[in-house]
Amino acid sequence: MFTNMETPMTDEKQRAPLTIPIKIAQKTIEPPHVGENKIEFRDYSFYYGKFKALGNISLQIPPNQITAIIGPSGCGKSTLLRSINRMNDLVPNVRTEGQIILSGEDIIGPSADVVDVRRRVGMVFQRPNPFPKSIYDNVAYGPRLYGISHRQGLDEIVYNALRQAALWDEVKDKLRQSAMALSGGQQQRLCIARALAVEPEVILMDEPASALDPVATLKIEELMQTLKESYTIIIVTHNMQQAARVSDFTAFMMIDSPQTRTGVMVEYGPTTQIFTNPKNKQTEDYITGRFG
Amino acid sequence: MSSGTNVWLGTSTKQLIQSRTGYRRRKFTNRIMLTVTALFTLAALAILFWIIIYVVIKGLQYLNLDFFIHLPRPLGMPGGGVLNAIEGTIILTILASLFAVIPGILAAYYVAYNPNTPLGIAVRFGTDVLSGVPSIIIGLFCYALIVKYQGHYSALAGSIALAIIMLPTIIRTTEEMIKLVPHSLREGSLALGSPEWKTAVSVSLPAASQGIITGILLGIARASGETAPLLFTALGNDNYEVGKIIKAGLANHKGIFAILGSIVTQPVDSLPLTLWKYAQQPYPERINQSWAAALVLLIFVLSLNIFTRIWVQVRANRMQGK
Amino acid sequence: MIDNMAKQNHIIANRRPPSRWATRLRLAFHYGDRPWNALTISMAVLTILVMLAIGVLLWRESAGSRSAFGLNFLKPTTDASWNPVSGEFQAWPFIYGTLVTSLFSLVLAVPLSLGVAIFLAELCPEWLRLPLGGMFELLAAIPSVIYGLWGIFVFLPKVVDPVGRFLDTTLGNVPVLSLFFHGPIPASGASLLAAAFILSIMITPTITAITRDVFLAIPVSQREASLALGSTRWETIWKVLIPYGLSGILGAVILGLGRALGETMAVTMVVGNSIGGSLSLLRPGYTMSSIIANEFAEAVSPLHTQALIEVGLILFIITLLLNILARLLVWRVGRGNVQGARA
Repeated sequence: MFTNMETPMTDEKQRAPLTIPIKIAQKTIEPPHVGENKIEFRDYSFYYGKFKALGNISLQIPPNQITAIIGPSGCGKSTLLRSINRMNDLVPNVRTEGQIILSGEDIIGPSADVVDVRRRVGMVFQRPNPFPKSIYDNVAYGPRLYGISHRQGLDEIVYNALRQAALWDEVKDKLRQSAMALSGGQQQRLCIARALAVEPEVILMDEPASALDPVATLKIEELMQTLKESYTIIIVTHNMQQAARVSDFTAFMMIDSPQTRTGVMVEYGPTTQIFTNPKNKQTEDYITGRFG
Repeated sequence: MSSGTNVWLGTSTKQLIQSRTGYRRRKFTNRIMLTVTALFTLAALAILFWIIIYVVIKGLQYLNLDFFIHLPRPLGMPGGGVLNAIEGTIILTILASLFAVIPGILAAYYVAYNPNTPLGIAVRFGTDVLSGVPSIIIGLFCYALIVKYQGHYSALAGSIALAIIMLPTIIRTTEEMIKLVPHSLREGSLALGSPEWKTAVSVSLPAASQGIITGILLGIARASGETAPLLFTALGNDNYEVGKIIKAGLANHKGIFAILGSIVTQPVDSLPLTLWKYAQQPYPERINQSWAAALVLLIFVLSLNIFTRIWVQVRANRMQGK
Repeated sequence: MIDNMAKQNHIIANRRPPSRWATRLRLAFHYGDRPWNALTISMAVLTILVMLAIGVLLWRESAGSRSAFGLNFLKPTTDASWNPVSGEFQAWPFIYGTLVTSLFSLVLAVPLSLGVAIFLAELCPEWLRLPLGGMFELLAAIPSVIYGLWGIFVFLPKVVDPVGRFLDTTLGNVPVLSLFFHGPIPASGASLLAAAFILSIMITPTITAITRDVFLAIPVSQREASLALGSTRWETIWKVLIPYGLSGILGAVILGLGRALGETMAVTMVVGNSIGGSLSLLRPGYTMSSIIANEFAEAVSPLHTQALIEVGLILFIITLLLNILARLLVWRVGRGNVQGARA
């Protein structure tokens, strides 16, 4: 099935910048201009029942960059991340205020479509969670939801996704084998391929390498650099060195006080600026390891 | 640079992924199927309530004091009851509990502390399998074992059949409850120099006692509703009345064991058995008594079940400090 | 101050040492552990013995019938004879009745149970879960005879009879299906169909409870993975959760089937108790458990008794095998039905 893909099209077809708008039914979406924010939090607050977990977050995420969210444990980094693809909706009794804007649309308002948001914003979890199906079926799961079958290019999609996730060479001979037989690092890259197969615009990564060994971690970090050319990447990490190594932009969060334990955005900006010349004293304290 | 759209695919595929109509269909299917599951749940609950309400209404119509106090009377004579069945049910239940509870608890104790020995695995497997054996087969077994041997039907045979039916429930529940007792409790007792059996009897089992009682009650609820195993072990007895037996025994100067013997070695009736017999008779009087018996039986079984469930929940809440 | 300090007792430490015989006895009985262990072990062994004894006794007591009829007892035939007077016994009508009613009850029970289990496990609000689950367990606790009584006087006239007549008119003329669905259904509604319906109500709580537990045991990460890819909830349930828990669900279904096969009282009261030659579900029929229930207490001859016990033996073996299969499937889900990931 893949024999005619020995010389894949990828080498010739560069990732050309999109200048033509894509028609979606009656709606036309202009690609965002360079410089415009991919994601923007406008005064966003999040409540678990009475507990205010996130307080008045304002944050801009630029497109095609890697933004890292750092901060001490329990400050709400993961909650913030999961708000973007609305995974927090699964928890009962939650409430939000403010807006989250993705490519110009509010994704948490009443007119937003959760299923569509989740397709456009992919997520890779802390522990790899492949389905107990074959490698092929894992990657093909998303496209199949849209009715894409073999005739309509399913094989091609799977191939492309696995190549983007730098996993193709390792699994090309065993696509029908169970995904559970892969190593941890390979499973994580499989989860990335699975997310890529539905053509997201943004990829969220919640401490993606924390369950992996250093070699696998390095592979994931290299992968992120390749992926950012086509996707916007937001990563939550405990590991400051990783954030400094990998990201273009960094956002630093903290809880505002031990009593309220509400997470707030302290400072965000280009990584080089945050790590060498932070504007906020708390940021400087955290970076230099005085607490955290 | 592009904002992430995968240009390697044909346009038709892109359109498939981004088409609005596709979304609508998927969300529609989602909504329909989820509603279907809710409807199924409602349907199943509706049947439950249908049965309960019908039994209550019909049963109340024909329930009266005579029902509980008198033996059956011939058709046409008013004031008949099912005292024989009620007493029979009580006797059978007490006997079955006696036969099932102590072996069950002991066996469960062994399994709880030796789960991975061959015997432990065999018992766990065996109780699972035993709980799936049809109750009529167990009746056949007791017939071949006891009735045939003794030459007559008896409450003894019936109660052993019921005991076998109760056994898996008691073993399973007791095993789980014993496992829930904290290790520290048992080790503390052993560390003080108390031997294993004393630890078991005075520490581990009392700690698990509430749960064990729950298991016993559930077993009783199950056994008292059974009919099939009694069909050819206890058989049925229209004239069974414990009071009369005791009086007759005392009048003939029989010892207490002889009296107990005659209580236990006679054929007996039980509520479910009576229900079954009467329901098949073409006389409205008998059928009405069936409904009344059904009501009594239903109340008994359901209240035992509800009671144990609430008790378990209250205990669980208390342990969590709610 | 020193006066207020508690004096150390030396009562236990300085007690009179026990006599040699007391020590010997105590050691022999190992402080009572040996008898205790012997007791618990023997009770455990007793449990297994009971199970084995059932099989052995059934086998022994049916010896006469088995040698008299051999495999002819089981042979499928439209002209089966069950004649206590002449001593000819063939069990096929009962085997057929049991199989047909139980399998058909699955047709109704499995979708119903699956739907309810999905609702309880995935969609039900938290506060409703316990009460609803409890109500289903009540459904399981209702004694079989009460199902039968309600069946005869309420369910059959109100539901089974209309459905039976409907099936007769629609499927009664369809080529292959008419074998199984031609009537007329008796006025009372007593038929194999009635038994199948009642059975499906009775086994639904069993299948539902186990399936719900299977769903609850599936890790949340699987749901998260599916939803994060943009699936709807139903797609997650249908394409991820059900395949994941399939062996457990299968086990639940087989357990339900086992229960249906052995169910006696409710079935006997609604099945019609007739050894007709027809294959149709709409006609009255007979099941293995029903024939035993009806005829055993008044069996006319030793051969009759043995033939009935042989029917019981067949039933025992079938339910035993199904039970073992089901337990193996359900235990597998408990330990995870996927290969663990290498780190």
